[in-house]
Order: sequence, then C-alpha cells, then structure tokens
Amino acid sequence: MPELPLPTSVPLSWYLLLSAILFALGIAGFLYRRNIITVFMSIELMLNAVNLSFVTFSYKLKQVDGHIFSFFVMVVAAAEAAVGLAIILTVFKNRRTLEVDEIDSMKY
Amino acid sequence: MSLLDLVIFLPLIGFLALLLVPRGAPGMSRTAALGISLVIFLVSLGLLGPYWFAQPTGYTFSTDIPWISTPTIRYHVGLDGLSLWLILLTTLLTPICIVISWKYIQNRVKEYFAFLLLLEFGLIGVFVALDLFLFYVFWEITLVPMYFLIGIWGHDRRIYAAVKFFLYTMAGSVLMLAAMIYLYNRSGSFDFTIIQSMIQTGRLSLSWEEQILLFLAFFIAFAIKVPLFPLHTWLPDAHVEAPTAGSVMLASVMLKMGCYGLIRFCLPLFPNAARSCSGWINALAITGIIYGALVAMVQPNMKKLVAYSSVSHLGFVVLGIFSFTQQGMDGAVYQMLNHGISTGGLFIMVGYLYERRHSLEIKSFGGVATPAPNLSTVFLITTLASIGLPLLNNFIGEFLVLQGAATVNFSWTVFAAIGVILSAVYMLWMYQRVIYGRATEDLAHHMPDLSGREWAAMLPLLVLMVWMGSFSQSFLPPISAQTAKILEQSKVGVDFRVSVKNPAPVLSSAVENKETGSAAR
Amino acid sequence: MPLANFIPTADDYLRYLPEIILTVVGVVIMFLEAVGGERRKPALGWLAGAGLLAAIWGSVVALGVGGTGFQNMVIVDGFATFFRILVLVIGLLTIVSSTQYLDREKANAGEFHALLLFSIAGQCVMASANELIMVFIGLEISSIASYILAGYLRDDRRNNESALKYFLLGSFATAFLLYGVAWVYGLTGSTNLAEVRRVLMTPESAPNLVLMGTAAALMFVGFAFKVSAAPFQVWAPDVYQGAPAPVSAFMSTGPKAAAFAVFLRVFITAFGPIATRWEPFVWGSAIATMIVGNFAALTQTNIKRLLAYSSIAHAGYVLVAVTAHSEIGTAAAMFYLAAYAFMQIGAFAVVTWFSRQGEKFVNVDDLAGLGERQPMVAAMLTIFLLSLIGVPLTGGFFGKFYIFRAALDSNLVWLTVIGLLNSAVAAYYYLRLIVVMYMKEPGAATENIGPVSAGLRVAILGSALATLVLGIFPSLVLDFAGRSAALVK
Repeated sequence: MPELPLPTSVPLSWYLLLSAILFALGIAGFLYRRNIITVFMSIELMLNAVNLSFVTFSYKLKQVDGHIFSFFVMVVAAAEAAVGLAIILTVFKNRRTLEVDEIDSMKY
Repeated sequence: MSLLDLVIFLPLIGFLALLLVPRGAPGMSRTAALGISLVIFLVSLGLLGPYWFAQPTGYTFSTDIPWISTPTIRYHVGLDGLSLWLILLTTLLTPICIVISWKYIQNRVKEYFAFLLLLEFGLIGVFVALDLFLFYVFWEITLVPMYFLIGIWGHDRRIYAAVKFFLYTMAGSVLMLAAMIYLYNRSGSFDFTIIQSMIQTGRLSLSWEEQILLFLAFFIAFAIKVPLFPLHTWLPDAHVEAPTAGSVMLASVMLKMGCYGLIRFCLPLFPNAARSCSGWINALAITGIIYGALVAMVQPNMKKLVAYSSVSHLGFVVLGIFSFTQQGMDGAVYQMLNHGISTGGLFIMVGYLYERRHSLEIKSFGGVATPAPNLSTVFLITTLASIGLPLLNNFIGEFLVLQGAATVNFSWTVFAAIGVILSAVYMLWMYQRVIYGRATEDLAHHMPDLSGREWAAMLPLLVLMVWMGSFSQSFLPPISAQTAKILEQSKVGVDFRVSVKNPAPVLSSAVENKETGSAAR
Repeated sequence: MPLANFIPTADDYLRYLPEIILTVVGVVIMFLEAVGGERRKPALGWLAGAGLLAAIWGSVVALGVGGTGFQNMVIVDGFATFFRILVLVIGLLTIVSSTQYLDREKANAGEFHALLLFSIAGQCVMASANELIMVFIGLEISSIASYILAGYLRDDRRNNESALKYFLLGSFATAFLLYGVAWVYGLTGSTNLAEVRRVLMTPESAPNLVLMGTAAALMFVGFAFKVSAAPFQVWAPDVYQGAPAPVSAFMSTGPKAAAFAVFLRVFITAFGPIATRWEPFVWGSAIATMIVGNFAALTQTNIKRLLAYSSIAHAGYVLVAVTAHSEIGTAAAMFYLAAYAFMQIGAFAVVTWFSRQGEKFVNVDDLAGLGERQPMVAAMLTIFLLSLIGVPLTGGFFGKFYIFRAALDSNLVWLTVIGLLNSAVAAYYYLRLIVVMYMKEPGAATENIGPVSAGLRVAILGSALATLVLGIFPSLVLDFAGRSAALVK
C-alpha cells in the first residue's frame, strides 16, 4: 500500500487527542445545554469524535476496518437523526417548548 | 411412593381441589376442607406403624428421587422420631382449626380453607425434608398462606402484622439460603444426610470461622421463627392480629419449625459452633423466659398475654436443646408438643371468648363462670396445663428441661424455675379476672355455653393434655431414640474444645484459617 | 484474499434465518399497512405473530447449522439461540398483550407490529454478534425501533416525553459504547471478539492495560445504560412510566435481555483475559444497582414506575451473575433473564388490562379489592409478584438461587449477602401490591372493570404458567443454558 501524503509534522496522537476533546465537549454539551436540539447536536458531535478516532486508528493500523466502521456509524447516525428529529418535533407540537427542564410531567 | 408422600401431597391436592369449588358455595368448601383434613389425619396415623413396637434408628418411609439435575437437588424425605409427633400434631390441628373457623369465617370462605390446607402442606414438608434445598422450599411455602391468613382475615392492624411477619422471616431465611449454597459449594450436595456424614467422617472439614458463620446463618433464621428473645417482636403482633385458627397454627406448629430446625440441622451440622455458642444462647433463652413472663403479666389483652407466654415457654425449649443433655433434649421436644397442644388450646378458648364478646381485652370480661360453666372448666384445664400442673402435659416437658439444665449449670435451673412460677401468676391472674367475679347483665346475655362444635374442637386437646401428662411413656420413646442419636452426632465438638487448649492444633487451625481467609475475598 | 471468500454460502443465510424472516415480514407488514384498508388491520397482528413463530423455527434451523458465518461476523451457538428464542417469545407475548390496548387507544396500526419485529430483529442480531460492528448495528436496529415504540401514541404527552428521554439517553450511551469500540480497535487492531481475546491473551502483543481498561470501562458505560444499571439507570423510571404499558413490558425485557447477551459475550469472550480489570466496577455497579432499584421502589405509588425500579433492581441481580464471570454465572444470568421476562411481562399485562383508556388507573391504591372482584387475575398477579420477590416454586426464586450460587462459587461472599438482603427489602414493596389487592376495601377503580380480552388472557396465563414451570421444573431451561454457557471454547 503506498504511503498516503499525510503531513508528517502532525503526529497521529494529536488526532486522538482532538477526538477525545471533541468527545468531552459533546458530553459537556449533553449535560449542560438545555435546548433539546443542542443536546441532540452534542450527541452528534460525540459520534463524529468517535469517527475521527476510528479513522485515525485505521490509518495507523493500515487496515480498512476502521473506515468501514465509521461509514456504519454515519449511516446509523443518519437514521437515528431522522427518528430523533421526528420525536423532537412531536414533543414540540404537544408542548410548544424545547427546553429539557420543562419536560418533566413524570414525578420523581 | 410411600405413605409419607401421600401425607405430604394430600394437603396440596386438597388445596387445588378446594380452589375448584365454586365461590358461591361456602358450605361446600367448609365440608370439603374438613373432610380432606380428616382423611389426612387418619392417613397420617398410619405413620405410627413402625414406631408402635420398635424404635427404628434410621429414617422410615424415606423417598429419594432426583428433582433438579444441576445443581443436584433431590426430593428426599424421611420420617424419624423427631418429626413423627410434629406431623401428627399438624394433621390433628388442621381439622380442629377448620372446626373452630366454621362460623367465624364468613367472607372468602373458600380461600381461607384453601390457605389452611396449603399451610398444612408446607408444615408437613418442613418436618420431613432431608434435602436442605427442599427444606428451604417448604420453609418459604409456609410463609405465603400464613401471610394471607393474617392479612385478609385478621383484626384491625392485620396488614402491619402480616407484612412484619413476612419480612422478619424472609430476612432470616435469605441468610440461611446463603449458608445452604455455601455448604453445597463445599460439599457438592444439598442432601442433609450426605453432608452430615461428610462432616462426621471429616471428609468435609470447615474452618472455625466457617463453622461459626454458617451456624449463625442457620441459627438466626431458626431463632426468628422460635422466636428467641430479642428476635421475638413480630410474634405478639402476628398473634394478636391473626384469626383464631391462624394463631393456633402459628403458635402450635409454625414456631416449632424453628425449634425443629435447631435440633435437626444446627446441632448435627455445626456441633462445635453450637456448643461454643451455647452459653450465650442459653442466656438469651433464660432472658426470654423471664422477660416473656413479666411482659405477659401486664398485658391487658388476652391474646397478647398468651403470645408472650409463648415467648416464655419456647425459651424452655431452646434451653433444653442447648443444654446438650439427654433429658434436656427430650424435654425440649416434648415441650414443643405440649406447647402446641396447651397454647393451641388457650388460643382456641380466647377465640371462643372473642366470638362471644368481640373483644380481647381482659377487662371486658368477668364472671363468665356463671353463664358458661363448661367453657370455664375447659378454660381452667387448659390454663392449668399451660402452667405446668403435675399430671398435665407441660409439667413433664418443663421438668425434663429443668433437670437437664441442672446437670450442666444449676443457676440456669434457678432462673428458669422463676419463669415457671411467674407463668402460674400471670395465667391464674388472667383466669381469675376473666372467669370469676360478678357477671354484668350484658355479659351474661352474650355468653352462651360451649356448643357441640366447640366441644368437638377442644375435646381431643383435653384428652391429649391428660394423656401426655400422665402417660408420657406412650410418647417419649421415639423422641429419646432420636435425641440420643443427635446428641451422639453433636459430640464431635468435645475433642475440638480440648484441642483449643493445646497449642499445636491452635497453630494448625490458625494456618488453615489464614488460607481460607485469603481464598475468600 | 480471493473474492469468492466474501460471497456468503447458503449456510450463512440459514444461520441468519430468524433475522431474515423478521425483516421480510416486517417490511411486508409495512407494505400491507399502506395498501390494505382499515378492516385488514387486525390481520397484521396475526401476521406478525406468525412471523415470530416462523423466526423461532428459523432459530432452531439456524442452530442446526451452527457455527460462525459471514466471515466470522456472526456466531450461532446455544447461547445465541437461547437469547434469540427468548426475545422472540417476549415479542409474541407483547403482541398478544397489546391487542386490547391498541384497540382501546384507537391506535391499532401495522407499524406497531412492524416496528416490534424490527426491534426484535435487532435483538437477534445482538444475540448472535461475534464482531463489535454487529453489536453496534444490532443495538441500533433494536434501539431506534424502540424509540419510536416508546412514543407510539403520538398525541400523548407522556408517550412523547418517554420517547424523547429514551432517545436522548440511548444515543448518548451508544456514543460511549462506540468510543470504547474505537479504542478496542485501536489497541488490538481488530473488532472481532475472538481476535480481541487472542490479542489480549498473547503477552507479546498485549496492549497497554490501563488504556484497555479504559476502553472496557467506556463500553461498560454503554451497556450499563442499555441494561439500566446504576449509576446509569436514571432514564428507566421515566421511560417505563411514560411509554404504553405493553411497550414498557417489552422494553424492560427484550432489549434488556439482548443487551445482557452482548454484555456477557463481549466481556467474557473478548475481555475475559482482563477480567480482573473490569470485575471491580461491575461489582460496584451490581451493588449500587440493587440498592438504588430496591430502595427507590419502596416509596413508589405508580405501578409502572414501581415495576421500572424493580426492573433496575433485577438488572442488579443479573450483574451479580456477570461479576461471577464463570460458566455457571453465565448460565444463571441466562436463566434469570428468561424467568424475569415472564414475570415482568405478566405483571405488565395485568397493568395493561387494568389501566383502562388513557392509562387512568396505574396507581398502587387503584388495585384495592381486585382480589375480591377479579380473583383469577389477582391470583395471577400474585404469582408474578411472589416470583419477583423470589418465593420458592416460582421462576424468580430459582433464578436468584442460581445467581447467588454462582456468586458464592466465585467467592463473592459480600456481594451474595448484600444481594440476598436486598431481595428481602424488595419483598416489602411487592407485598404492598398484594396487600392492596387482597386486604383493602374495593375502590372505584375495580368497579365496572371490563373483561380480560382473549389476547391478554393468553399473555397472562402463558406467563404465569411459564413462571411456575420454571420454578418447579427449572431443569428444562437450565440444562440448555448450562450447555450453552461456555462462551469461550
């Protein structure tokens, strides 16, 4: 397999670090944002961070498995987004709000 | 399929059959229940066969067939002198309980009698199971019908009492289950006879910590059921709130499950632990004897009084068991039966009074003797039996226990004897307040004498009180044969106690403990 | 590698027969839903049921040609077949117990059945996954379909909320799982479970254990969410309370069983060599799950919410079996999940019938007097509750017994003691239901209660029968579980 013309000055570990940071940002967004759409986008961010890790590892291991895995993740994420947005839409239709805190009709 | 299997499963068949009776026919369920329970009693008399002329040392009527393959659990049951009388007591009391509930139970009649039969099934099973797992199954089965009997047909605070009863027993028995599983993992069998022989022959050697912890796990489950002071608090609640038949079954048979378990399992399986804990246990037993008597004395409620008297009387049983003497053990087993009959009788009499006045308070009675002389006489005999008057049954049991305890530690006897005296005080005082004095017009009006049905329920018990008190030799031989064997089996520990004083075995046992300690995390 | 190796053989398709049947029948139902009229709708339920039965047959066929298929992507062994059949039976019970509900809520539509079949197909994929990609895909097929099912009644506010929470927390958990998978892949160079195990076993190629432990922990977080194990159980009560009752019954059994199946397979097959690393946190989670579930359930007044907490507690018991990570532990977990499925579905089926339109009566106190007015149903519910408590001669008892036996066998003494004491605590809240049914005066909720529909009757009686059979003759199932529990050959 021919070497890919990737800039050699950026070590692979940086990609992993970036992926970890993005993942952590996703978690933080999920936990601290109150708007459902933003919360949902945080999850997407986490999934994309995972994809970055997959691709990095795949490159390092000189295999295609990781690439394939990230394709699957993208496809599934798209399906999930379709269903998720539909659910969010019905919630909005019924309650006229997208604030997570206001969706608490069940008691604790 | 032996006669014993028939006695075990007839109540279950009766339970299922009763469920098929239409709901709208209470009379039919009553008659059916009585018929079935009488048949069971008659069949169970057949169990006396092998014990009539001889005293077999092993188990009679045993059945041993596989039930579950992994882990190996077998349906292993057998009868010996220890369980014989307890089973007959159960099969005798069930029809009596049905007779005394004949009129009192008016709603959900079918379910009531069905639960009584289910209870009988569980109780008989407990007394004959020789597989630890099977024993546990029967042990837990008894919980369910008793829970419903208290919870549905009980008095005002029935729900509280029923739930307390269930949770207390459950909490104790889960630890016993853990101990059983542990024993299985060590020995590869749930079969009591196999585990016992492995322990006797030394093929299964448990470290000192293991023995103590396993013993305690079993002991606490049984002690809750006995109930031993200070684990007795569920008992007064359950007794007071239960319907009469529930109280009778609870006091007469269910409490014996605990005593039976102590003798059957705790002593032969963990003799060393049992012997080394016996001082503490006897201290608790004596505390229970005196505490129960003192609390009984100040009870304004008749049922509560009888309940606390049970705590006191069962202290004698535990004292007898943990005296590790032949007389003490015989007395303990005999006392189990005596208590079943006399306290059962007392609860029935209290139930009769309740049906007439709808009150359990002592102060709402007085002068019952005038309108109801027969009732008063029967009540007197029962009371005297419970006190332990010579020629009546309790006397023999208490005497044997005291005698056995005296050979070990005389001060135990002194304290326990105080309990006997106190029991005379509180029982006679209650009797005096209820029966003598001037009857108010209202009371006299509502106090018909014993009916034929009520006589029928009490008569067998009265006969037994006199018979067991005067001719104890008709009952004791099978018991003695068995207790002698159990005493023999629980002697292994004597060597151990000697070896503790000897430095070498201490060292080896310490090393062994260390090994097992590191293996267990 | 020659291209021919990538072409699946006929056996490969046979090994995937149940999934194929479910997907095809699901698609057909969707199609018929669109072209058929209103009158045909009940027939779709029958079709779905027939599809599930066919899939059960398919699982048996698949076991006949057992082994790995599709280039090691799937594995069909006793373990996979056990869970396939279990989730298929759960699906059947869900379908029969949902007919009355769907009619009552005027929401009988083919898509309910189609979604159910897709969800079950996903769970079958999970059960037979031999590759982390398959685990992920199965999990997502199952989850996405259940997100929709949880919010099935579009106009119901609680349904919406349930679906939203399930969806958000479910996807959040998936992200963790995936991140863990990414690291497993990066550290071992493979996503095949057997291959991961092999790499971890070889000392020369063994990756950094700290990183590997982190990857396992990330995957654990994902699975813990799916099986509602503490501290990731917060979604379960809201979701189960808000979703339609039959769907709650399904969600608390089917996806949970399948999630435990992959949990066991991944952690025991792939991560078996580093068991000492993951055992402590599974141990802690097991204890926390039992305690949180049981103690929170003590104060619940809503039956669905109570059953949700109880389902958390039961997940804790299964985690005890996972902690034991032995063959008898796996067998115990399998048996327990089966026994648990029947008692939980049975209890939910009674709630389904009882709650009436709009789920009006779902409080514990509403059951007052049921024992007098509907003795048969009350007796059945009593059986389920006694089984949930763990009283002998019910499946629940044997399940607990096997689990704690496995735990003691692996020397987990404290875990056993805490677990057993927990089951005594649990007795309290289950008994409360029995108390209300039998010992309280009948209230308004039991008045004029309609008859139990034929479907629900089948579900309730079938579950009760299964609960008792598993309690009296556990060998029937346990022997099979014991034979298939050897995940590592």
